[in-house]
Amino acid sequence: MTTSQKIKKTDLGKLLNQWSQEFTVLVPWRENGLATWAKWNGTDTSFIDWYRNTVVPAKAHFLPSQEEMFRFQKDEKGYHIELPDADEHKQLIFGIRPCDARALTIVSPIFEELYEDPYYLAKRNNTLLVGLACTRPCDSCFCTSLGINPAESIDVDLMVTDIGDQFLIEGISEAGKELIAGASEVKEATEADEAKAKEIKEASYQKVTRKVDTDNIKEKLSVCFEDEEHWEKVADNCISCGICTLLCPTCFCFDINDELVKKQGTRFRSWDSCAFSIYTKMPMENPREEKWRRVRQKVCHKFEFHPMSYDIIACVGCGRCIRQCPVNWDITQVLNNLPAKV
Amino acid sequence: MKEMEQRLQKEARALLEQGKVDYIIGFEPGSLKFTTTPLITKDKEDVERLVINPFIVNNLSVFLTELQGRVGIVVKGCDSRSIVSLIQDNKVVREDVVIIGIPCTGLIDLSKVELVTGKDRDELDDIAWQGDKITVRFDGEEKVFPTEEVLFDNCLGCECPTPQEYDILLGEPRPAAPNLTASRKNLEKLDGMSSEERWDFWKNEFSRCIRCYACRNVCPACFCKRCFVEESEPQWVLPVPRWQDNLIFQVIRNIHVAGRCTDCGECERACPVNIPLRSLSKRMYELVDELFQFKAGMDKDAVPLMTHYELEEAEDFIR
Ligand code: SF4
Ligand code: SF4
Ligand code: SF4
Ligand code: SF4
Repeated sequence: MTTSQKIKKTDLGKLLNQWSQEFTVLVPWRENGLATWAKWNGTDTSFIDWYRNTVVPAKAHFLPSQEEMFRFQKDEKGYHIELPDADEHKQLIFGIRPCDARALTIVSPIFEELYEDPYYLAKRNNTLLVGLACTRPCDSCFCTSLGINPAESIDVDLMVTDIGDQFLIEGISEAGKELIAGASEVKEATEADEAKAKEIKEASYQKVTRKVDTDNIKEKLSVCFEDEEHWEKVADNCISCGICTLLCPTCFCFDINDELVKKQGTRFRSWDSCAFSIYTKMPMENPREEKWRRVRQKVCHKFEFHPMSYDIIACVGCGRCIRQCPVNWDITQVLNNLPAKV
Repeated sequence: MKEMEQRLQKEARALLEQGKVDYIIGFEPGSLKFTTTPLITKDKEDVERLVINPFIVNNLSVFLTELQGRVGIVVKGCDSRSIVSLIQDNKVVREDVVIIGIPCTGLIDLSKVELVTGKDRDELDDIAWQGDKITVRFDGEEKVFPTEEVLFDNCLGCECPTPQEYDILLGEPRPAAPNLTASRKNLEKLDGMSSEERWDFWKNEFSRCIRCYACRNVCPACFCKRCFVEESEPQWVLPVPRWQDNLIFQVIRNIHVAGRCTDCGECERACPVNIPLRSLSKRMYELVDELFQFKAGMDKDAVPLMTHYELEEAEDFIR
């Protein structure tokens, strides 16, 4: 007996249209050559052929690069705050990769444990994720070193795998199973379909050739934390832009700014980066004035400090920080060449 | 190029050995296909890693303002002009740099290669340059393209392939052969638009900006210790990536680099969300030339354009 379903590739548009009646459906989209997310336009499924991963990660649909938090006004009686309407709009992200779906699993606790962040949680709780198995990982991907199979995911609601002229669909969460229960184009998969998907998953895993040695990585980083000379060398070609952090699916730092026009204002939050020399300058000073301290922070936060608090490495090996970096700074080389051997 | 590379390694080693410089800044192979990464070193053994190829994209002069001591630096034509401009602005002392110049043939724009081949860069097996043709190998096939189709726009219009200022030149000087039409393709499109269309165009482009500031940080002309976007009193522009603020940021940045921008193309190349920034910077470059007959970084003894004025030419409000 099989547990999964399938749909003809040519019927994908119909399925997306059906989902569009209930959700804002987001799909991979190209704009001026840039792979990003856009609202499904009802017809174009060409991404099936070109899509590998987006430059802007799906986190942008939970923690947008900029977001209005509230508006305020001042009069004789003091400040009046006007909160935005409750965000109830339902979205469905079609095509998220296993790395980026894992990233959301890593990031979500930050926004719900110590403090419940209504902005993030409203979006997260109103979103369904439909994963798409990677069959063409990039040469910068190293997800397998972080325990991720590029073609499998438990962090999504539905998982879709390209098996030729059909997609195999696996229900992962209850919500995901419900989502396809009523879909008319969907059929029961055969054992042969499932076998094919299994083959593809194994092949995809093998295609990821970049590796990071994560054994004892916390300890290794801790041992060489004070090695200033080492970190200076590691950081010397970095230009302290925000690309590797802002585009990282597991980076979640944000900055808060008010725009004040006469007596009315708006409070915004927007992405921030520990690579910026001005980071945390507003409340205090940036304790990491030298570039090497900032670069060290980025590496150690992901591979040492975050695991200390949450027991999981805050990197999913998506490789964006390598692909997009203007100087080709490569975190895998840094991690594989730490001076400390533990 | 192999010969040039060997000579570079020899010269760099000699500079370090003879104590003429404290650092060498050049390029070494990157970790991805068809990439290089800046090599900044004090160690003479490292010079063996120095390379010269059509992928040496970074304008290394951006590192000069952060290093202490004497530096031997590898430059292309446009980069050398950035150094000259930094000298004009008293940011770099001429005697503190040993400029190792490459007579430049232009660099290959991988985005264009992806466009003409329909393949992503990591799916290509080889890119080889012969004369005025570039051969790309992929999927067991070979395709040949005229260089004009795959070089960076700014390289196509380069006015100064031989470094303007150098101490060592790794080869014969190359005459300039700018192809303005090819290099202005994107600008041409904008010139042909009505102002409303242009407004919509930039609104759309700047909606994608994430304020990573890579455009500013890769730019040697953006040398301010504290950028105006980081000022909060007064707040010239919000550090929030709304398209309006993004546009203002870029407009002001272009005014600040007017007369310093050498059309090295780094800002556009670095932008992770493909905003055609050169359509602004190159336009400013042209305006500076039209209005002041000034080209950045051509003469280290010339007074810098924006920080200098003559009493007789000053507007009333400045006197
Ligand atoms: S993207 Fe590269 S240059 Fe920019 S901060 Fe990250 S490592 Fe540094
Ligand atoms: S650190 Fe780099 S590879 Fe890891 S999740 Fe972030 S962008 Fe991806
Ligand atoms: S503005 Fe752009 S093209 Fe001009 S010098 Fe700076 S990085 Fe180069
Ligand atoms: S590099 Fe691009 S995205 Fe980054 S700040 Fe500049 S224009 Fe915006």
